Amino acid sequence: MLETLQNLALGFSVALQPPILFYAFAGCVIGTLVGVLPGVGPLAGISLLLPATFGLDATRAIVLLAGIYYGAMYGGSTTSILMRIPGEAASVMTCIDGYAMARKGRAGAALAIAAVGSFVAGTVSVVALMLLAPPLASFALRLGPPENFALLLLGLLVLAYMSGGSMLKSLAMAALGLLLGMVGIDPMSGYFRFAYGVVELGDGIGVVPLAVGLFGLAEVLASAGQPTPPRVQKPKLRELLPSRQEWRNSMAPIGRGTVLGFLIGIVPGSAHIISSFVSYAVERRLSRHPEEFGHGAVAGVAGPESANNSATSGAFVPMLALGVPSGPIPAVMLAALMVHGVSPGPLLIQQQPALFWGFIASMYVGNVMLLMLNLPMVGLFVNVLRIPYGLLYPAIIVFCVVGVYAVNGSVVDVWIAVIMGVLGWLLRKLDFETAPIVLGAILAPLLEMSLRQSLAMSDGHYAIFVTRPIAAVLLAVGAALLLLGLRAWIVRGLDWRGRLALAEKGDAP
Amino acid sequence: MSRFRIALALAAGLLGMAGPALAQDVYPSRPITMVVPFPPGGVADLTARPVAAAMERTLKQPVGVVNKTGAAGAVGMQFAATSKPDGYTLLLALSSISIIPEADKLFGRPPAYTVDQLTPIALISADPTVLVVRTESPWKTAKDFIEDGRQRPGQISYSSSGIYGTLHMAMELLSHAAGIKLRHVPHAGAGPALTALLGGHVDALASGPAVVLPHIKAGKLRALAGWGESRVAALPDVPTFKELGYPDAEFYIWAGVFAPRGTPEPVLARLREALRTAVADPEFKGAMDKIETPIAFKQGDDFARFFAADAKRLAEGVRKVGKIDEKKP
Amino acid sequence: MLTIDRAGGGALGLFALWVLWECRRLPLGSWREPGPGAFPAALALVALGLGVAIVAFGGRATRLRDVDWRETKRALVIVAAGAFLTLGLEPLGYRLSVLVILLFLVGAVERRGLVTTAAFAAGMAWGSFYLFNTLLKVPLPVGPLGF
Repeated sequence: MLETLQNLALGFSVALQPPILFYAFAGCVIGTLVGVLPGVGPLAGISLLLPATFGLDATRAIVLLAGIYYGAMYGGSTTSILMRIPGEAASVMTCIDGYAMARKGRAGAALAIAAVGSFVAGTVSVVALMLLAPPLASFALRLGPPENFALLLLGLLVLAYMSGGSMLKSLAMAALGLLLGMVGIDPMSGYFRFAYGVVELGDGIGVVPLAVGLFGLAEVLASAGQPTPPRVQKPKLRELLPSRQEWRNSMAPIGRGTVLGFLIGIVPGSAHIISSFVSYAVERRLSRHPEEFGHGAVAGVAGPESANNSATSGAFVPMLALGVPSGPIPAVMLAALMVHGVSPGPLLIQQQPALFWGFIASMYVGNVMLLMLNLPMVGLFVNVLRIPYGLLYPAIIVFCVVGVYAVNGSVVDVWIAVIMGVLGWLLRKLDFETAPIVLGAILAPLLEMSLRQSLAMSDGHYAIFVTRPIAAVLLAVGAALLLLGLRAWIVRGLDWRGRLALAEKGDAP
Repeated sequence: MSRFRIALALAAGLLGMAGPALAQDVYPSRPITMVVPFPPGGVADLTARPVAAAMERTLKQPVGVVNKTGAAGAVGMQFAATSKPDGYTLLLALSSISIIPEADKLFGRPPAYTVDQLTPIALISADPTVLVVRTESPWKTAKDFIEDGRQRPGQISYSSSGIYGTLHMAMELLSHAAGIKLRHVPHAGAGPALTALLGGHVDALASGPAVVLPHIKAGKLRALAGWGESRVAALPDVPTFKELGYPDAEFYIWAGVFAPRGTPEPVLARLREALRTAVADPEFKGAMDKIETPIAFKQGDDFARFFAADAKRLAEGVRKVGKIDEKKP
Repeated sequence: MLTIDRAGGGALGLFALWVLWECRRLPLGSWREPGPGAFPAALALVALGLGVAIVAFGGRATRLRDVDWRETKRALVIVAAGAFLTLGLEPLGYRLSVLVILLFLVGAVERRGLVTTAAFAAGMAWGSFYLFNTLLKVPLPVGPLGF
């Protein structure tokens, strides 16, 4: 413990130096900006700024890039809450209840809760990163394809709890999303699936165009032509902060979101984006008022926003402790380290204590900076709602298009967003939920790949899922949850039929 | 002569002078784009940026790196292959450039691009892949590994960055050369492939040396042999497959600069010269050292020969792998 | 009667059938080694089942014609504008395409005044270009006219 404190002191001595502070701040600002802009997410931001870091030294570079990463998680909630446009794919869930809160005049509260939740999650997860990195990383390594498959199956179960309304319709949308995820090159056999000669579809339908289209553009299509366009809001200062009740309601979800997000972030190969989806579903399941979800439940904002922030720290665990990337963003950061002559590997923490502890300390500092940046800006951002909708929605369209184009420089992505916008609008008219589509599209390729990899590893024997302890345990947990869920559904279903029978008796002349 | 004719003659003379003057619009007169078909932070990207920076110094025009990712590189390669051959769009490609059209042919689909659409200009680096296993595994030498492979066909597993990818093809070349059968578990990229090996989910991996060196130094991984013609400088004790008697197992993850076919010869010559100066540049050398990639410069006919031989080897390798579903159990 | 559930479920079912049809070219593989066609086919079957179930249970949902379709015309116009922007991005260049559709949307569709429209459209087009292309270094397409 003493050693940790000493190391932390070393870290702060590095992190609080003016140049490092400057780069951390720059990273946070750029990250917030990147997060606010629809579509452009942390991966795009980091990739674009990577070359700019080549002239800096290793600590400054990594502090800058990390600042962009978790800064984007702070900023992503802004457009989600104010305009129902996901700032990045991880903010999709915030669009649902965050925007509902904004419609009720609680936009400021939602933004504040998102900021504070992100801060708590960010800070706590950095502590966890600091104390637990090496043992957690070793554990994470032991999660191979069979374990990933079991985890992803659990993630699929989450779909069932994501939306209110008809379970059947949610599952149908999940199935649609899963099917959309099958587009692209099959990594196990090399076949191009459903791509029809469009090379850009080789990596599948991107999550960013999908999310921006289904949520952002669909929202515009649904609202712009309304005879009474969305009410211009003129929030008063007092209304900007959450009420005491709202704070109370957000505390437990923030805590749960932090833990959940961090664990998901550690797992190599999991899409860290799903942390917010899982958190939303968990909150809905545990809530005493699940009917609030979808109409402005505080937990629906607090949980996912915390989860996606702590997932970023979780993602750093394997990267720093073992030199192994757990996703595309840590991979870029590892490359940044390599370019600066720091060889990332299991000995990084020992060989480069100043770098590691300086990085940790700057993450604390960065989270504080972001809280101070974002809270006062709540008042500023909320004024966006004052802009007459007739001017706002064309601007939204332009930002969505640029944001989607910026990710890969591909017009195909923009087309996908436009098409998904139309689809999202139609689905709204037909009262189908669109969030399961996004989750399904993310999970499908991962699920398929881990199943087929597991079978490749075991030469076709399904027993591998039972003989490996971690996978077996996870599958058992999943089966238990499924059975419990089914039982509840059947019981509820019986009630439904009873009620229907009564109603029919009543209707009969 | 009438004044009219004098005027005509003068005009003709002026035009005549202007003609070659216009043609002498010296290349390069505006910024050049270097297309990298892989995401930022990858081997290709990290090699391309120092090259672009060094070329900028020689050519006195900005050379901007543009990442056009997708489909294991096919998107960017197709983009470069179909660009205007005026020398302002270049491509930095890895050895997979020869693999992708072959794979397309295998599946009977129209190729995203063909190798003929590109002219090779110069080779920048050629990283031989190395065979790594965990230190706890029973194989101490490559000989052990191959022996075991012969005795237990299809039991030893290895990961790769993706089917028909560079790491897969390297292993395939070895399998055919040594007559062993291994079990392939494709992953989504070199990072996950390495993670799988470190976590004990597969037994072996063919990898570029740079990413595994820290793990070898930390005692987690052991390098058994290399696919190069000569030993890797950072791993002097690791023999090459050539030395061990398998000369057909030669594979490099090389990076080279290409231009679309049809780029005028003077432009190509200028580029070749610029690249030759670039690789001698000390700043460039320093940058390559940092990413632990040895410079292996080949140019003009040299590179064309190297490229043709490599392409032939890889094409045959892809054909031998065949389509997965057509394999008999 | 055509309810929203039946419309949605039916569409999903048809889509699933189409996917199954397209799967015919992909090898299914075996239980031991599922091929590229296995997962899509299985998912399509599930989707088909769900679609049929929704249609079957969908009789009591809102009727299709009872849904509020008033914004459709405006929405279609916006989709057309979006399509134009996407088509024009690379041939015409970013700034020009954005300028055109903003002039159209704000001026013709939303009927704002000439000055507001022009200022807004030009400001957005050049401003966003500056933000992304120059500040964030995202290469945006520049058309033959220079913008």
